[in-house]
Amino acid sequence: MKLTGKVWKFPQSDINTGLIRKQMYNHLPPDEQGRHCLESLDPTFASKVRRGDFIVAGTNFGCGSSTPAHYSILALGIPAVIAESFGPLFFSNCVGGGLWPIVCPGILDLIETGDTLEIDTDTVELRNVTRGRSLTGKPLPDIYRAMIEAGGEKPYLKERLARSRSAA
Amino acid sequence: MHALHKILARCARPQRDRVEPGEFLEVEPDAFGVIVAINAVEAKRLVADLDELGVKELPLRDRIYAVADHASPAPTVAIAGAQKLWRDFFRSHGIREFDGGAGVSHLVLPEHGVVRPGMLGIAIDSHAATMGAIGMYATSLGGGRLTLYAIGRYVIQVPKVTLVRVSGKLGPGLFGRDASLYVNGRLGQRGAYGNAVEFAGSFIDTLGMDMRFTFANMGTEMGSVTSYIQPDRTTLDWVNAHGSAPYTVYETDPDFQYDSVHDVDVSRIEPQVAVPHAPDDVHGVSAVAGRRVDQAYIGSCASGRLEDIAAAARVLKGRKVHPDVRLVVTPGSREVLIAATKAGYIETLHEANAIVTSANCGACPGLHGGLLAPGDVAITSITRNFEGRMGPGGQIYLASPATVAASALKGAIADPREYLS
Repeated sequence: MKLTGKVWKFPQSDINTGLIRKQMYNHLPPDEQGRHCLESLDPTFASKVRRGDFIVAGTNFGCGSSTPAHYSILALGIPAVIAESFGPLFFSNCVGGGLWPIVCPGILDLIETGDTLEIDTDTVELRNVTRGRSLTGKPLPDIYRAMIEAGGEKPYLKERLARSRSAA
Repeated sequence: MHALHKILARCARPQRDRVEPGEFLEVEPDAFGVIVAINAVEAKRLVADLDELGVKELPLRDRIYAVADHASPAPTVAIAGAQKLWRDFFRSHGIREFDGGAGVSHLVLPEHGVVRPGMLGIAIDSHAATMGAIGMYATSLGGGRLTLYAIGRYVIQVPKVTLVRVSGKLGPGLFGRDASLYVNGRLGQRGAYGNAVEFAGSFIDTLGMDMRFTFANMGTEMGSVTSYIQPDRTTLDWVNAHGSAPYTVYETDPDFQYDSVHDVDVSRIEPQVAVPHAPDDVHGVSAVAGRRVDQAYIGSCASGRLEDIAAAARVLKGRKVHPDVRLVVTPGSREVLIAATKAGYIETLHEANAIVTSANCGACPGLHGGLLAPGDVAITSITRNFEGRMGPGGQIYLASPATVAASALKGAIADPREYLS
């Protein structure tokens, strides 16, 4: 699958889940959490970002709580986050939600805010269309890729349960 | 193999004799801890999703435990409504609930003997690793909740293991949380990134279970996925007094290769304080003493045990909280609250003008029970001091309950040894 979009870069290390979406908004309907996405770091982010844009982040993005902070990113129509590395809980939350978490060491040097990025999720090739440079990210484990490609946990389970029921 | 890897091999489906760090396994947990949660849409979505998937009986039904610890009792009508939906869901499936002030899930489950050494427990809470203090594999759920409910399985990556050996003897007026904060400062927020962390060494051996829970809890703030302490006599005495279900103590093979080994000596440290906004930005109290505080907070799954409340009571005995400071104390569990009451600590806290709440997560996750206004400064014994955690614009320091209590008396960050002669 190929995804193309504009990049918003948050280069700081250790952006925790509370900075992505504060716990005090955890009770809001998931679709309404977008306006609080990354507001502590850039209060205007939610109003600037467009559906299909990407977040590019630094090391250990989404460290901290197991809270589903990824809802706020999904609500803005962002299909992928590319980071030097991720907090493990946030990473698997993204997978379950059908949001691509792409680990790509060196991404901070590849791209700047406003550049256009093209992602091939099969080869994990990331191309900075604006500057004509490329990098290859780390492939996702098969089980996670299958889940995101199915559209998240529920569609994945639907296929799996259908298979096991027809086998029984 | 490490003891943790042996647990994963047993729980792998199909079962395995051996697992290797880095590989992904599908596992069936022995216990699944969930929260009587606060998001109404998520509850409705889960019910609808299970219905759409045709799941009527939950495969893990008898091993799912729901704990009302976050925002409980409900602080707002909206949250009360969401919690009602979650309770309805749990009851419709016969899931056991710990409600009404039982305490924080990863303290309650070991106390009630529903998790035991050698088990694999997965819970929806980043500090689930606290339970690793009894020698089990305890980890937090990220994504995968629907999968656990629907088919009883979870995908886990077998972690490498970081060994932290803590040695030395603390000076007077210092407590387990000081040592734990010091270790967090030394290793940093990514000190055990993506790994399991095992705490061992002569200092850990001397700790009772309360402070072992503290260490296992704070492993999370090193970026680890689980914490582990090898069971010894202290562990087994505690476990045997908390339930009758059988258990297995797994041992790490003598030839096991740790990913990294850290030796930390806590002999010469002074009381430790983590400054805003990172749990690894740790300093001796002398570096920050005198900074004004508006609120002091003792509790959370890191430091809401009986030893913590005892330490605070020792500092507060016969004294009064500074009139400009609110001191809030939230015990970690009902067991702690009852024991602290019997020991007279709760009376001491009340006499000092502390605000004592029921047992729950309290203000730590920023949902109720002592939130901060913008500009407020708090010294706390909570798990992490991320920016805005207890309220946007608030400043959070982390310290031992004794240092928190001393600061509450002084109205500024203070060394508890001034009050503990």
